[in-house]
Amino acid sequence: MSRPARAAAALALTAAALVAGCGSAAPAARGPAAWAPPGWAPFLATSLVTRAGTWAVAVMGGSVAAHDNFWQLFVRPTGSEQWKLVTPPGTADNGGLVLADGGAQSLITGLRPSQGLTFTPLTLTRDAGRAWSSAGPLDAALANVPDALAAAPGSGTLLALTADGTAELAAPGYTRWSTLTSQRTLAATPAGRRCGLHTLTAAAFTAVGVPLLAGTCSHPGTAGIFAARNGTWQAAGPRLPAALAGQAITVLRLTRAANRTVALLKAGSGPADSLLAAWSADGGSHWALSPPLKLAGATLTSTACGPTGAAAIVLNGNKAQTIAGAGSAWQSLPALPAGTATLAPEPAGGIDALAVHRTTLTVWQLAAGSTTWHTTQAISVPIQFGSSS
Amino acid sequence: MNSGLNISDPAVVAAFKAALVHQGLIALLIFALVGLAWITLRAWLPAAAAGAGAAPEATAAATAEPAWRRLLRIGFGLLWVFDGILQAQPKMAIGLPSQVIEPLAAASPSWVQRLVNVGGTTWSYHPMQAGAAAVWIQVGIGIWLLAAARGPLSRLAGLASVGWGLVVWVFGEAFGGIFAPGLTWLFGAPGAVLLYCVAGALIALPERAWHTRRLGRLTTAGIGVFLIGMAVLQAWPGRGFWQGIAHGQPGTLAGMTGTMAQIPQPGFLSAWINAFTTFDEAHGFAVNLVVVAALAVTGAVFLSGRPRLIQPVLAGFTVLCLADWVLIEDLGFLGGLGTDPNSMIPFVLLAAAGYLALARMPAEAAEPAAAAAPGPGWRDRARLARDRVRPHALRRSVATASIGSVASAGAIGLIVLGAAPMAVAQASPVADTILAESINGASAPVNFPAPAFTLTDQDGRAVTLASLRGKVVLLTFLDDTCSTDCPLIAQEFRQAGQLLSADTARVELVAINYNPLNTQVSYIQAFDRQEGLAGVPNWLYLTGSPAQLQQAWRRYGVPPAEILPAGSMVGHGDYAFVIDQAGHMRQELGFDTGPGTQATRSSFAAELTDAAQQLLGRS
Repeated sequence: MSRPARAAAALALTAAALVAGCGSAAPAARGPAAWAPPGWAPFLATSLVTRAGTWAVAVMGGSVAAHDNFWQLFVRPTGSEQWKLVTPPGTADNGGLVLADGGAQSLITGLRPSQGLTFTPLTLTRDAGRAWSSAGPLDAALANVPDALAAAPGSGTLLALTADGTAELAAPGYTRWSTLTSQRTLAATPAGRRCGLHTLTAAAFTAVGVPLLAGTCSHPGTAGIFAARNGTWQAAGPRLPAALAGQAITVLRLTRAANRTVALLKAGSGPADSLLAAWSADGGSHWALSPPLKLAGATLTSTACGPTGAAAIVLNGNKAQTIAGAGSAWQSLPALPAGTATLAPEPAGGIDALAVHRTTLTVWQLAAGSTTWHTTQAISVPIQFGSSS
Repeated sequence: MNSGLNISDPAVVAAFKAALVHQGLIALLIFALVGLAWITLRAWLPAAAAGAGAAPEATAAATAEPAWRRLLRIGFGLLWVFDGILQAQPKMAIGLPSQVIEPLAAASPSWVQRLVNVGGTTWSYHPMQAGAAAVWIQVGIGIWLLAAARGPLSRLAGLASVGWGLVVWVFGEAFGGIFAPGLTWLFGAPGAVLLYCVAGALIALPERAWHTRRLGRLTTAGIGVFLIGMAVLQAWPGRGFWQGIAHGQPGTLAGMTGTMAQIPQPGFLSAWINAFTTFDEAHGFAVNLVVVAALAVTGAVFLSGRPRLIQPVLAGFTVLCLADWVLIEDLGFLGGLGTDPNSMIPFVLLAAAGYLALARMPAEAAEPAAAAAPGPGWRDRARLARDRVRPHALRRSVATASIGSVASAGAIGLIVLGAAPMAVAQASPVADTILAESINGASAPVNFPAPAFTLTDQDGRAVTLASLRGKVVLLTFLDDTCSTDCPLIAQEFRQAGQLLSADTARVELVAINYNPLNTQVSYIQAFDRQEGLAGVPNWLYLTGSPAQLQQAWRRYGVPPAEILPAGSMVGHGDYAFVIDQAGHMRQELGFDTGPGTQATRSSFAAELTDAAQQLLGRS
């Protein structure tokens, strides 16, 4: 072999080696769009108690195609034992449903946009979902968190957290929105800087109508809850135990129940993370904290807040925990029925598990003090497959 | 990239066939005219024709085309013709982007996909012209190569092969998959058409290069280097070629052939491929060892440049290529929507030509005398060029042209026949209306007074149909919270408004709300902002009370919006109407958006624009 030929052969070997190196990694398989929430956010499946009744949201359809999964709203009206399907009509809700207690007998829903839609239609009911009226819309996509929408007690002013991290306010009718703040603006305030705020995760009002925003802090040991008082944003989060000083804190939920502000906080990440519930009766000046609940690597799939500040969480593997309120401890529930999407704590102390299998919702009940789930109801949901494709 | 239409769409298939038949007739006419001109001029100038007839024969005898070049020219000429015929498959017009280009590019890096997407989009916008262009350009290049044996025309044919081959290699084969994982010679790396380019480049070399052994040495060395590189790639650990089965799954080669066997094809072929797959699963290591050894040995022997060694190895290599062609490459064109016979036949042709260029040349081939002698100066060349294009000289040239030159001229005509309509189509920024018509059919013209309406626009002003008199009205019905078709239709209307350019002030783009629940102006405004229609001066999105809207739907004969349960959007159809300046309904268009691709959206916009311009007397 001549010298140029040998050089060419060496070049070929090198090139082939490079090509092989570049080409050996198989591309990662892309699965169908999943409904998994972002790492820090609880699923949109949740329940909410208002004067009109207990409301629950769950996604149904069971298809791998996102446009064939529809979010459904159920209500168990106050005084009734039966759940009803009351999903607001008129807009495809494949993107998710977010609830806000509108006070009195009203409930406001935000229908998160999906596919070609980019703004958020709002609907309102004053009769436990029998009739809906159109409101809004919010000219932006609502954030993908269960507390993206909150209504001020009394005035009905709506606070919406959008997907791009902006907090918008609107008076009833909800056609004229004004920006309250944004994640970037809030992060630049003294309170935001102390937190190292990098994501907004929840919006709420205090019992006296002060807007609250919550998020994830990059500075360890700080709970990022902020109140808009006297024209400035002030830190309003609980002081956390020293044991959590080195942990990154994310506010998963921030809502109002029985005139109290209720928060669910996640401390840390990975197998060592833990969950805390916090209650404030004075809009964030003072908080009562639950003991930390070690999640031991379990994934949170749903959170729900019950009357009087109770909270219930669903973890993967059919596990669940509840806490009755300030001063109480987390309690494990018996293994959940398969397919449980969310839990709905009852005022009387019992709890309902709403289990989904494709187009059927099965309601299971755990009476106070009982250790066994009983089926009480099954609802067949007439999903129109293909109607949003 | 693709139009999203069914590749067997009857409207498109019929239109493609019709286009090919029409252009085929024109092609015959081109050949007939060129032939007639040639015969006529020969009859007019018999002396010149007769006088010129002897000299070239003598010259040709002195510098006959070498065997290697003839092999390449005829071999690749036939391949181009065959590829052109494959391009005439009825499903090709719609199917090429989705069935050929997209799958080939899918595994490549994103920059390759973006680049390939340009070609695929171009094709999907004008499937008729692109499909026909591919047929005639490839058949034209093939005939050109076959007909032009010598001279500048022959070399130009080689260059045409390189040029079109590169276009096909980049946009049709995604660079032959060389940037994708799993690259292997067995499956056609580095892309069949790149071999067409190499052959074309060799054919295009100047005549003085044809008669030297240096070319043969370079060709065989190039092939040798490439095959050694492919052997290394094949032997590289971790790529799955050494395993017949790995972790319960077929190895890379067995996986590929197993998938290939699933593609619709003649039963005997899939049976052979399945048998090979089973064999490879059982003896994956041995199969890969044989392949690696064969590639390495063949590469080394070709690199040595010794004809006596190359001859037997070439025979063995040919057998290997044919086996690969049948058992792994599926003959290249029988599985799925085939566009060429893949890489093995071109490879054999190239290897054989390299061998012939080496073996059939005298060791000390003398440079042609003409090449050694000093050439004319540039002034002389310029004068000669001027003389050649004088009418008399041109007539004389045609009269004395060989039949090959005449056929070459016809082939060039074929290429122009294919390329020109495609070039014209490219000037249009929108897709052909054939896409829209294939989805909804062509609309029948009507003429009756359009139903009146009184509704409220996005700014809260009352609008009646009568207030729009004097303008062409393009009317549709849109649900303001619809997440699927309505945003697409809105974009079709917006694009139609842009296409109307100067005429846009004489056309009103109107939508009536098709949602009986979200009827507020605030929803209309949100929809307009979403679709970028808020600032469009001739856009009206009308709403009203549910009763007013229902009346409008009823009058226009569109079914009432259906309120569906369980989180579904409102059920409704897709419609468009064309109303003339006098308020008369002139067209009722089915407006199902189909797959909603960029190409189909654009096609609907073109359909709307055409309808408006007809009423404006523009076409």
